[in-house]
Amino acid sequence: MVNQGIINLNLSSLSLAYGMVLLTIGLARLQRIGQERQMLVASLRMVLQLLAVGYLLHIVFSVNNPLLVMLILLVMMGLAVQVMGARAKHKMPRFYLVVGSSIFIGCGGVTALFCFMVVGYSPWYDPRYLIPLTGMIIGNSMNSASLAAERLAAEIKQRREEIETAICLGATARQAAETAVKSAFRAALIPTINTMAAMGIVSLPGMMTGQILSGTEPAIAVRYQIAIMCAITGSVAFTSYLILLQGYRHYFTAAHQLKDDVERG
Amino acid sequence: MVKDIDGGKAVMVSMEQITLVRRDSDGRKVALLEDISFSAHRGEITVIVGPSGGGKSSLIRLINRLGEPTSGKIILDGEDIFHIDPLTLRHKVAMVLQKPFMFEETVLANLQRPFLFRQQPLPAAESPEVLHALELARLSPELLKRDARTLSLGEQQRVNLARALITGPRVVLLDEPTSALDRPTGDQLAATFHDISRAQQLTLLLVTHDLRLAGKIADFLIYLEGGRICETGTPSELLTEPKSAELVRFLAEPEKWEE
Repeated sequence: MVNQGIINLNLSSLSLAYGMVLLTIGLARLQRIGQERQMLVASLRMVLQLLAVGYLLHIVFSVNNPLLVMLILLVMMGLAVQVMGARAKHKMPRFYLVVGSSIFIGCGGVTALFCFMVVGYSPWYDPRYLIPLTGMIIGNSMNSASLAAERLAAEIKQRREEIETAICLGATARQAAETAVKSAFRAALIPTINTMAAMGIVSLPGMMTGQILSGTEPAIAVRYQIAIMCAITGSVAFTSYLILLQGYRHYFTAAHQLKDDVERG
Repeated sequence: MVKDIDGGKAVMVSMEQITLVRRDSDGRKVALLEDISFSAHRGEITVIVGPSGGGKSSLIRLINRLGEPTSGKIILDGEDIFHIDPLTLRHKVAMVLQKPFMFEETVLANLQRPFLFRQQPLPAAESPEVLHALELARLSPELLKRDARTLSLGEQQRVNLARALITGPRVVLLDEPTSALDRPTGDQLAATFHDISRAQQLTLLLVTHDLRLAGKIADFLIYLEGGRICETGTPSELLTEPKSAELVRFLAEPEKWEE
């Protein structure tokens, strides 16, 4: 698939590209918006981080060891959970356990299905496929999983009266939390549905663009894009559902009581 | 099963040395209830009265296990409630919360909720269960088809009551049931509580900060302040000859009577 004729970017062409950032910084200075320093730091971070990742991937690709690839995937998942934890304003009880296991099972399961059954390359651990595909699936699922967790916390707090009324009328914790869970699940799915609906019209998706740039036939690149989008949708739904299914339980006691640490509205 | 008899009247609910300790936001332990013991008798209205923040709601919520005490015993009709499955307990002990929460559906569907949650066949609009519950709560069957959220607050609180009564509980807990209503509407509802407890031999436990209401409908009155029972007795004993300093002070605050 890889076209030998791909143009390598040498240092001078990269410098030329970086000139555009410098131009932006110049413009910021001229307009006195006072963001020059942050812009410079951010652009340098970007360059260094990407160079480091490229170098790391280069090593991983040449070592080509299944254990090393698995370790990288685990680190990716761990970082995703950490980013979610740092971002969440209202953490659900046992946040890291619930979110970590959901990402691991949800994203891991869908990635395995996609890589081994749909794409079906070999060897199964080929980092050239496994790492970027896992990255795309985790990256997208992470956002929806954050939404699901955040929304569930907000819904349970906001629906306290409804939940306690249901409990008084003999509902189990699961029945009492049903509307909150449904509403959180809906919120988690909406961005992915919107992305799917706009795909190819509003923007050309990154993976497809990248493949076309590196010389893949557009017809093949489109098929990959369709397949990965389906996998992302599946992973988003599966991961969010796992979070909600495990998450709501931690708001209740075994006696079907809403826990007291859920602030009263 | 040993049934407690107390002065010739059957004890339906009793608390024995109940304490409830919570941690506040700074992690310090705060006692919300301390050494609470009392009995509520069958077919009577027991009213727990006292200032806001005195632990009344926390107390009543323990009886259908919306909350859990730190220590102590609660006996329902001779049985320790912690030995009863919570879902079964809530079948026997119904509760009406302060703000009537109406599910976004018809009044009939709201009344069917307890059956829905328990996965039992839903009673129809003309069924004896529905008609009896409407009659007890003094609601017209014409309301059944209405969206419950479009009813007045007073009507909603009656639907709330009918919904609690429809499965035939032995005990009904009422947490400030009239505080969201205007005075005439609240008084009419209180009269309904009185009739139900007499006609159905139902045991009612009602929490309020409204002394006027308490004096009107209570068979037995408990004065709770600062998480402790300061005094108990009949309304005439407590309201005319208060003995505890706390109740004397509470009675002297006239705004308490106006609510």
